[in-house]
Amino acid sequence: MGSEGDDRGLVAKTLAGDRAAFGELVERYAAQARRVARAVLGDPDDADDAAQDGFLSALVKLAQYDARRPFGPWLMRIVANAATDRRRRRSVRRAEPLDPALVGGGPRPDAAAVQSELGDRLRAALAELPERRRTAVVLFDVEGYSHAEIAGMLGVPEGTVRSEVFHGRRRLRALLADWKEQVK
Amino acid sequence: MTDSQMFDHRPDPELAAALRAALEPRDGQSAFVARVMAGYDEALRRATVPTWDVLASWFRPGVAAAAAALIAGFLIGRTVLFAGAGGGAAPVSMDAAIASAAVGGPGRGVAALVTAPSPPDPSIVFTALVEQR
Repeated sequence: MGSEGDDRGLVAKTLAGDRAAFGELVERYAAQARRVARAVLGDPDDADDAAQDGFLSALVKLAQYDARRPFGPWLMRIVANAATDRRRRRSVRRAEPLDPALVGGGPRPDAAAVQSELGDRLRAALAELPERRRTAVVLFDVEGYSHAEIAGMLGVPEGTVRSEVFHGRRRLRALLADWKEQVK
Repeated sequence: MTDSQMFDHRPDPELAAALRAALEPRDGQSAFVARVMAGYDEALRRATVPTWDVLASWFRPGVAAAAAALIAGFLIGRTVLFAGAGGGAAPVSMDAAIASAAVGGPGRGVAALVTAPSPPDPSIVFTALVEQR
């Protein structure tokens, strides 16, 4: 993620028609946007579609961006909305089916598959959380946004974000603790 | 991980690292960036639709609405005209209306006043006024 000053400069260049500047913005925020979209949607292909929609929607709306504010939260709000819209439209294609063994525990994993299995379990646990809760946790813990920024992105009061982060973390930390016990 | 961490609203590095690894796309970013950039021109083209296209998109519904209003006005006007011609009372002259109102009314004076072929005699007028009182 670039500095805010750099972001503003790139936004200004993009508004002036500089295609490469927009490309640099996409490079800076691609990983973050894909993670946030995946937190909302679960399925990685759907998430990439939503992240792409978000970037192109941001490009079209770029003149509405208030350069006095940080660019990241503004962009992530658009990406999260694009993911939510896609989730609502999605009817046939579903997220990866949940394996109860992944969420509730299972046999002790081989050393080689430890990290992969933790990822599976975390994704399954995330999928069980309500959409707003898992989005709030990812934006807070993974992407490092503040409660106030997340509140602005999700369009909810800051207290609601605090509550969502707390409850989401409680579930995920319990899973993480169980997993650590198993691999000891 | 302690209980105090559970209620802590500061970022949790351990959970963050695990979640980041779980959500990280398997492929690199370059293919995704290229894919987004492939939609760059199309997105801008859609966003800057020429004015004539916008006006053209408004034209057809506008013409339809105007035609509908014209037809509705014609139908309403025709209905009002037909109702006035066929459904109401036949036209009557003022003299006939007054005369018919006066005949069988409160007194002879009024009937004589309104039906007289010549200008009214003052005595008859006075008689009518007195009868009215």
